Amino acid sequence: MNTKFRGATAVVGIGQTPYYKRGTSPDPELKLALKAIVAACDDAGISPKDIDGFVSYGSERNDGQRLMPALGTKDMTFNALAWSHGGGIPGALGVAASAIVSGVAETVVVYRAMAEASNRRLRVAVAQDDTSAQYLVNGISAPAQICAMRSMRMIEHEGVPQSALRAMSMASYHHANRNPTAVGRDIKLDETTYDESRLVSEPFHLFDCSRENDGAAAVILTSADRAADLRTTPAYLLAAPMGAGKGWGLTEESREPYTSAGFATVAARLWRDSGYGPGDVDVVQVYENFTGPGAAALMDHGFCTRENAAEVLTFENLIAPSGGLPINTAGGNLADCFIHGMALVPEAVRQIRGESPNQVPGAKLSLMTGGPGDSAVSSALFGSADTL
Amino acid sequence: MPYSYKENRIVGGAGADDTYWEGLEDGKFKLSRCAECRTWIWPASWRCGTCGSWELDWTDVEPVGTVYAYTRTWYPFDRVPERAAQVPYVVVLAELPDAGNTRVLGVLKGDETGLRVGAAVRGEIDSPTPEAKGHAAIRWVLTR
Repeated sequence: MNTKFRGATAVVGIGQTPYYKRGTSPDPELKLALKAIVAACDDAGISPKDIDGFVSYGSERNDGQRLMPALGTKDMTFNALAWSHGGGIPGALGVAASAIVSGVAETVVVYRAMAEASNRRLRVAVAQDDTSAQYLVNGISAPAQICAMRSMRMIEHEGVPQSALRAMSMASYHHANRNPTAVGRDIKLDETTYDESRLVSEPFHLFDCSRENDGAAAVILTSADRAADLRTTPAYLLAAPMGAGKGWGLTEESREPYTSAGFATVAARLWRDSGYGPGDVDVVQVYENFTGPGAAALMDHGFCTRENAAEVLTFENLIAPSGGLPINTAGGNLADCFIHGMALVPEAVRQIRGESPNQVPGAKLSLMTGGPGDSAVSSALFGSADTL
Repeated sequence: MPYSYKENRIVGGAGADDTYWEGLEDGKFKLSRCAECRTWIWPASWRCGTCGSWELDWTDVEPVGTVYAYTRTWYPFDRVPERAAQVPYVVVLAELPDAGNTRVLGVLKGDETGLRVGAAVRGEIDSPTPEAKGHAAIRWVLTR
């Protein structure tokens, strides 16, 4: 176990804006970021002026220096971006915790804001100059197509059935139907609707794919000592490793193991540093840009194998409160919203607090896995006080 | 005559594969390996991470292999608008045993019968086209 890091910090505040259809936010991105951060401060019962650290990931443009005038920041002492795309979210929590544990900062906000109209993320920032000529010359432009190739091999060569992908999607929409703020709250998804939905890039149907939304989400981290004095139930950060092992990184389609989501070394460190294993986890927020890579992330973390995916990844098993492996209990990237995956973090925290729209009774260990298949990835395990 | 790919340059990734695109325009299929330790390196890079050499050898390769992965795309994605009229089209990731199992992308050409992971393919080189963004491109053809 990593005794210096494990449980030394906690999320004490969560905040989110309404989630809008892409391109329809009435507010520009910077204002969305501010609203989510202030909401997280209100939740924690702290003043926005007291935030001294700012951390985001991927292509976030609203850096600390842009936020501090409107927040009334007294003294910024830490300001950083975790590299990579959606793979970096839990890693951003780890960066924030590292700053707190090392004494560089006391109150750190981790956040992400997207508004297509003011940011043009899909045109500019998704690409982030990672899409090489090898893809674009050969008709590959989108993560959907790249992830589709990897999932196609997982299905055709490794024997994971498409029903596992469908079950993940149905579980997400089932949870969203019970979450009044989910973008997909009114979309009923059954097997027939999934099977008959249009193909995007095989094996992905429409309902295998997340879709971009406008909005923002933020969480406040502070030391466990300070968390004890605040009004919310702390969600202690037990581990939040980031990175990638040999054979990974920006290796395009040469990555190994090809159909994995890239978590081999990260998941090993997650369990080692936290002292827990997949069998101990009560609920998982699994970043699913698309269902197939999400399934691969669950396998990378040891929740199932290629061989038993058909039995483990079923609708009944993936839903709260009755399933053994409840995932994406607010609806996830597919059906709650997609703010580059950031909405999964407050939901992971709500499960520890007992405040989820699809609460897992007595949840004590709540996992969030970052963007699967990204060229660098990360995971975070939250625990209640009982787990320390 | 200047190379077409240079006039239609795409910025992205490591950007170390100019010789690949030049080779295709010259009608040759070349892949890269370390000049010192002979490790096949793909995508092309600036330095061999295995032995530390800065020298790449671009080696003529027989474009023969198998389908490692593929997808049939049904949506006209916005950064490849030149392909909109071809939807649905199949992109194949071919694994090439003669090049250390290097895996190379290409759009499937011809009959789709028998398309599956593991199917045999051989490459044909297309001269620069608008749909390939002014680049020459390897096309994978299913063989039986």
